[in-house]
Amino acid sequence: MALVKAKKNTTTPSEPGPAADPAANPSTGPHTGLTDADPAARRQAARALAQSPAPGAVPALAGRLVVEDDPGVREAILTALVRIGTGEAAAALLPLLDREDAGLRNAVLESVQQMPAAAAAPAVLPLLDHPDSDLRIFAVQLLGAMSHPERLGWLSGVVERDAHVNVCLAAAEALAETGDPAALPSLERLALRFPGDPMVGFSVDAARRRFQGG
Amino acid sequence: MESFSDDSDAGLPPADYAILCDFLRERTGLSFTEAKRYFVDRRVAARMAAVGARDIRDYMNLLRFQASGEELQRLVNVMTVNETYFFREKYQFDCLVNAALDEVVRGRPPGSRVRIWSAGCSTGEEAYSIAIMLLEHWRRVDDFEIELHASDIDSTVLERAQAGIYEERSLQGLPAHLRAKYFQKVGSAPDRWQIMEELRDSIEFSRVNITDPQQVRAFRGIDVIFCRNLLIYFDDIGRREAASMFHDALAPNGFVCLGHSESMSRMSSLFVPRRFPDAILYQKPAGGTAP
Ligand SMILES: C[S@@+](CC[C@H](N)C(=O)[O-])C[C@H]1O[C@@H](n2cnc3c(N)ncnc32)[C@H](O)[C@@H]1O
Repeated sequence: MALVKAKKNTTTPSEPGPAADPAANPSTGPHTGLTDADPAARRQAARALAQSPAPGAVPALAGRLVVEDDPGVREAILTALVRIGTGEAAAALLPLLDREDAGLRNAVLESVQQMPAAAAAPAVLPLLDHPDSDLRIFAVQLLGAMSHPERLGWLSGVVERDAHVNVCLAAAEALAETGDPAALPSLERLALRFPGDPMVGFSVDAARRRFQGG
Repeated sequence: MESFSDDSDAGLPPADYAILCDFLRERTGLSFTEAKRYFVDRRVAARMAAVGARDIRDYMNLLRFQASGEELQRLVNVMTVNETYFFREKYQFDCLVNAALDEVVRGRPPGSRVRIWSAGCSTGEEAYSIAIMLLEHWRRVDDFEIELHASDIDSTVLERAQAGIYEERSLQGLPAHLRAKYFQKVGSAPDRWQIMEELRDSIEFSRVNITDPQQVRAFRGIDVIFCRNLLIYFDDIGRREAASMFHDALAPNGFVCLGHSESMSRMSSLFVPRRFPDAILYQKPAGGTAP
């Protein structure tokens, strides 16, 4: 028969006890593991930090993420930061949004979106004042995807005040997606702020129809 | 819903419920929301009564600090959904024997190992279905040494998987000639069939919690992981963590097979979807990264 049992000590798991305690782990602590030459050790270190975050875990993870080029380790670090899920973790990820690497930027957006809104939102809000309009658009997308009671207010503030039409359009789209008719007055004011812009006209019309129709 | 039909069913207060669910999520990946109260409250109440816990705090202490972990295991065993049957979503097994395995062994010398893992095997139907499909339909089955691993977090289902005794409900999808070939009737029971010993002995069953990095670390160089109808019980971040650990466990070019309603693209960018004639599988790129 072609089916065989695994050779012992190769891939057969040992009988697992109750959930292992990563803090009680090997000779090196998880922080140092993050710079190990072996990617498997780095992934393991990231996961250990997620399971029981030690002080300094967030800067250590974020510091490694910036230089890490193994995709498996990157993902382990990102999931660890999402799992830690504090404002500090969100704030550590956001600066990576201005990296050239689109894959990393998307991964950061997705990761911050998966964090609890209450923790992530305060870290995202300051980005609305960033001089770079691309970063303001990311901030709008992040806030738009959060289920947070103040979302409408933040997005309305953007459409009423942001100087850059693309940022306003991103916020208008996010507002339309909330489906909340309370967003309509700000959208109307947006149409007045950029009277000649066809995209603005189109987007405000679409929102109007959506709110009135539903 | 606030009211319950009788007192023994009175639910946990929301704060205690949340603490318990957080704990379960942390230990098992299973994500229970308020909407799952109908499922959780009764089971926890029954376990608390069984161990004589005075209140939820008392019970949580037992779960957290009992050295043997026995009560945690008992609770886990009642909190899992173990629904499964032979040849479930058979097109995925077709995909395995018609296309994926041929790709896996390309360039490998005959006699080398092929490793398949049913992660979340429940009572074993998935792993035995794979074994039967291989023996019946993979034309190169005799050229390689195939290891079949099957694991679950639930210790009760693993015992049943190892015993390999099934009833009609579970066997319905299996053609009669395969039942005749691989099963024997158990005693005089009208409706109980045991899978033959040779197959039972060829699968390595183990208790593995796929959210525990230490436990998953034992799996390396796996060629195909079946993880079907398990991650639906996890939250987004839990799925993403599981995907990341499967990535570690797989050999380069290895495949993950998810349930039909599950999609890796929503969990992880580490895999590339591969559309075969029978099914879509997710592949770990040889260089480790999705293009
Ligand atoms: C619905 S069954 C699916 C069985 C089979 N894969 C199928 O598709 O028919 C899900 C199984 O996943 C197991 N499970 C849930 N959480 C798990 C975890 N963290 N680690 C391993 N198994 C888990 C449950 O115990 C259950 O037996």
